[in-house]
Amino acid sequence: MTLAPGVDARLGSCVEATRALFGAAACSIALVDDDGANLRFVASDGAGADEIVGVTIPVSRGIAGWAAMSGQPIAVRDVQTDPRFARDVAESTNYVPTAIYAAPMLDAEGEVLGVASVLDPVVDETSDWTLHVLGTIAGLIAMVTTVTAGETSQDSPPLARLGDDVLRLVEAWRTAEPGGSA
Amino acid sequence: MSLTPAWSGAFDRSALEEVVGLPLEDVREWAFGGSTGAGVDVAVVDSGVDADHPRVGGLSGGVAFELDPLAELGYVEREGPHEDLVGHGTACAAIIRSIAPDAVLYSVRVLGANLKGRGALLHAGVEWAVEHGMHVANLSLSSKSDAMFGPLHEVADQAYFSGTVLVCAANNLPGPTYPSQYASVVSVAARPGDEELALAYNAHPPVEFGARGIDVDVAWADGGSITATGNSFAAPHVSGMVALMRSKHPWLTPFQVKAVLQAASVNSLAR
Repeated sequence: MTLAPGVDARLGSCVEATRALFGAAACSIALVDDDGANLRFVASDGAGADEIVGVTIPVSRGIAGWAAMSGQPIAVRDVQTDPRFARDVAESTNYVPTAIYAAPMLDAEGEVLGVASVLDPVVDETSDWTLHVLGTIAGLIAMVTTVTAGETSQDSPPLARLGDDVLRLVEAWRTAEPGGSA
Repeated sequence: MSLTPAWSGAFDRSALEEVVGLPLEDVREWAFGGSTGAGVDVAVVDSGVDADHPRVGGLSGGVAFELDPLAELGYVEREGPHEDLVGHGTACAAIIRSIAPDAVLYSVRVLGANLKGRGALLHAGVEWAVEHGMHVANLSLSSKSDAMFGPLHEVADQAYFSGTVLVCAANNLPGPTYPSQYASVVSVAARPGDEELALAYNAHPPVEFGARGIDVDVAWADGGSITATGNSFAAPHVSGMVALMRSKHPWLTPFQVKAVLQAASVNSLAR
């Protein structure tokens, strides 16, 4: 799909906020192309971010493709045991993660728009809870992504502020933690 | 502020409510004891299954549905062997094989190298399972497409009345997903633990059952294995259990299967 002007910046805020929320090494967003055959990384924050943006992978490969195909949020604790992953994605970014969480992004009609991925998150434990959080965030990011061409931040202020709001919440949460970075 | 998990929260040990089940004595032994799943046909509706993976132990057949814009329905049906492009279907099949080693496994590939037409292919795969008399169909995938609500509901009802038990992974996304949302299917969310036959019933559906699905060692593409988490891996555990009970008691209907699963759950007072 083609992004409307200004959406790139909003997606940048989304991946930054999501990476902070999960305490992750990186977070990225990949969108399904018009043919439905490939995922194109359009936004990323963290390790390998500069390299991954613009990379295209077939939807049938990698953990992100897995989430897109099944329509299910999925977590893999050690992707390095998957030789296909290393070949398709990690080598192109110069960052090889251990764990990946991925959730499908769906449009209002329920069609798969893309995938939100989190690399090496710092969470207490792998659980359904974390997949629920990522699945919910992926749905919100899908809303940001589908802002139509010509729509401005004045037309949809909640969407425009979404990333910044999440960032502020994460920062507030971190500073409230014992040993927080405040 | 506290965050509540989507579905698995219902299966936390501290939150698990006791439920009244049918007064069946030794129901787990009655349902599962000594069974290998022999004679039970199980369809894995997914991305294909690697029949040569050592943890799958072979397939008895398969069919792949592929998009074809020139075809009347927009897709074609290809009988015969096919590969698993991703590893998702292989992971599910291996879990079922581990629980029900003599079950008769079929791969129904509805996920391919393209996301277009995903809902229509999913429908076609479920329809194939019903028309071919599968006793169990594992669906570790879902659709949120509004356009597919009606067609998937209809074929899920056909499955229910013709004796094909549809075991569907719940989804941790906001809003309903299909077919896991339907009352005619057995819906499953992930639950911690190492026991393959562990089962819990949710007193507050629509998602009714919790099974092993957190940090599961699963088969993967290219003959490998990985450790993965998701409702996708909980569903095949229940599919395996259904295969066990239908092997011992072939007369069980889908609604009886669900009642037995509930009675066999760890929080059932009948157990």
